[in-house]
Amino acid sequence: MQDKKESKLNKEAEHNRESLQLIVFKLGEEDYGIKISQIKEVVLTPSITKMPQTPAYVKGVANIRGNIIGIIDLEEKFGIRPGITTEEANQRNNYTLVVESETFKMGALVTEVPNTLTVSTAAIEKEVELVHNKNVDTGYIQGIVKLKNRLVILIDIFRVLTEDEAEKIELPQHEVG
Amino acid sequence: MSKENEYKEIFLAEAVESHEELNRLITELEKRPDDKKSVDAIFRITHTLKGNASGMGFKTIADFAHVVEDIFSAIREKKLVLDDQIFSSLFKSIDVLGELIHAVKTGVNVQYRGIKTKLEVILNSLKDNKKTDTEDSKSSDYEETATNNGFPEDDKTTTLPQQKPEGFEYDNNDADTAQKQAADETEPAESSKIIFSDHVQVPVRKLDNLLNLVGELVIERDRIIGLNSEKISTSEYSRLNRISSDLQYSVMDVRLVQVSFLFNKFHRIVRDTASLENKSVSLTLKGTETEIDRNILQIISDSLIHLIRNAIGHGIESMADRKNVGKPEEGNLTLKAISESDAVIIEVSDDGRGIDTNKIREKAIRNGFLTEAEAKNFNDNDIVLMIFEPGFSTADDVSELSGRGVGMDVVKKALDSIGGAVSVTTQKGIGTTFSLRLPASMAVKGTLLFELQHITYAIPLSYTDAVISIRKKEIYKVSNGLVTSHLGKTIPLVFLQDIFELPYANLINESKVLHKTYDSTPADKALNIVIVSYNTRIMGIVVDKLLQQKEIVEKPLMKPFDNVKLINGVTILGNGHVCPVLNVATLFNLIFIRNYTTKKN
Repeated sequence: MQDKKESKLNKEAEHNRESLQLIVFKLGEEDYGIKISQIKEVVLTPSITKMPQTPAYVKGVANIRGNIIGIIDLEEKFGIRPGITTEEANQRNNYTLVVESETFKMGALVTEVPNTLTVSTAAIEKEVELVHNKNVDTGYIQGIVKLKNRLVILIDIFRVLTEDEAEKIELPQHEVG
Repeated sequence: MSKENEYKEIFLAEAVESHEELNRLITELEKRPDDKKSVDAIFRITHTLKGNASGMGFKTIADFAHVVEDIFSAIREKKLVLDDQIFSSLFKSIDVLGELIHAVKTGVNVQYRGIKTKLEVILNSLKDNKKTDTEDSKSSDYEETATNNGFPEDDKTTTLPQQKPEGFEYDNNDADTAQKQAADETEPAESSKIIFSDHVQVPVRKLDNLLNLVGELVIERDRIIGLNSEKISTSEYSRLNRISSDLQYSVMDVRLVQVSFLFNKFHRIVRDTASLENKSVSLTLKGTETEIDRNILQIISDSLIHLIRNAIGHGIESMADRKNVGKPEEGNLTLKAISESDAVIIEVSDDGRGIDTNKIREKAIRNGFLTEAEAKNFNDNDIVLMIFEPGFSTADDVSELSGRGVGMDVVKKALDSIGGAVSVTTQKGIGTTFSLRLPASMAVKGTLLFELQHITYAIPLSYTDAVISIRKKEIYKVSNGLVTSHLGKTIPLVFLQDIFELPYANLINESKVLHKTYDSTPADKALNIVIVSYNTRIMGIVVDKLLQQKEIVEKPLMKPFDNVKLINGVTILGNGHVCPVLNVATLFNLIFIRNYTTKKN
């Protein structure tokens, strides 16, 4: 028991010394951050091709260096503003954050050039009490980064589009009796 | 390279690998002599090696492996107890086996008789004790495993070698003599040599990636040539053209395997299925040297198993029935592969009772798949294709192997996924042939490009019958759908736009859904229509604009789009845009299954 406590303390101390690099971008009026390790690259948004039978926040697919990548609109997904069409998205959003995990690649639309930001892990408040909207899963929010005069919402981009979320895209199958 | 040499290389690659595995296993076994798994594994490997070697005509390897196999069979049956002396002989024999394998390539003469004789002496001393017992259990063992082996087995190798070198008798003194001789043959320098195989094993995933890259290269080449066609004459590109085409074909060639690779596995399946059904069936293979893309072979392997089981379960009659109609008691199943320019045709034929088309007709009407009038219009070959509809089965009883009404639509789905087609010819009392038409390679696909709402889509040419242009007033509303006439026939018609806009597929049953775009179109407007056909059905798809035909390299959809059913994959166009490829099979299922459900209600 004693050991456990001690190691926990050590860990926390270590934590405080560590720093973290984030990619910060604006969604609506707020700053959002993603750990740099989750981002593969930032590119100028290529032409997006709409796909039928997908949720509205999925704007379509695009060709990024020969890879076919799904493009999602986070502002629409998070309910920050009403949805836009793929054509509008093609005109309005200049940059795409390409995120990559072992299982999927995905692009997220942003309007302004994203910045990098180095923060100490101590500046991240992990347990945040939020005013919840019961209908929206906020599990993707990893914490809030408090800086001098601004707040950055740290999100886990992979959790934004989790497995079961991806499955919702599937059409209900026809029952053939 | 000749086929013979290619086989030899494959044999060598496998043999070297087997030898390495044997070395590993025997070392393990020495540490734990009770390990039954290692004994079994060694027995299996030597058995395979023996079969492969005898198939290739390397008699010395086959004979030698056979003796080693017998030893391990004895160990497995606990007739032979492993001690240090036997281990040293076994290590020696595995070294010699390795040298023999190596000698296939180098032609070096390998001394192997001493150690072989020694093993035989060990075996014979066991056999003297329990002769009858060993013989019985062994012969049955062989029969079981032999069918599973890809190579034809020489009869000689399945009986114990009875020749005994002169001057040897079966008592323990001779074991010593043999050991001396074995010791004389030992050349330590050579036995510890490391042997490299001339083959490299590559995961299919890497080949897939290579093929993708080559596909993109070809697209990029065409794009650049197209861009500069005014400035630079196309002959400037002839070298680039030739090299990239050669590269493409070389990569495609690497992925080709002979169909025998799959066909040979069916001997066992036919035997097992036939014995379960209490029937006697022989399997004939034809055109086994035909080459086909490895992935395609994998995708259709389950379908072929289904077809074979169906042919044995329902096609071929029971022995008594066959006798009654004057056929030989043993039924015959033929698997045949034919190469045809860019396609491979695989035929599964049986000489059974044929498919009763009247039964299918009745059932199709009874279950609401067709109306009586429709059923009359279908000829026999068309009506047979009904068995590929989901949920359709003609079998009245449910046998253990087939006839649950699943099976056949699985075949159809597998073929759809690779752009293949199936046709059936059947003659009552004479037999049935299922003919699968498969692309020889997955690399390129012929498509027709069209535009809808400013997005370019592709539709595979294999489903496209014609393109027509008609005015809206020639289209009529019938119930929830639309029809028009094409070449004197009334065909259903959909505005693709209406389908794409459906948030959920089951909403297609709502009234007026398919009339939406139609209602907002002026009566005089000329409409572009692609006539597509799928499994005897024809339908028209209304699109905005028809573009050109194009060879494309299709890529599968990744997450989160892998569940989008209406789109089969995507390709990248010359301008860098992404172009979705329409899945015609799903479209048909969506439109026509809707009809079944509404009819039943």
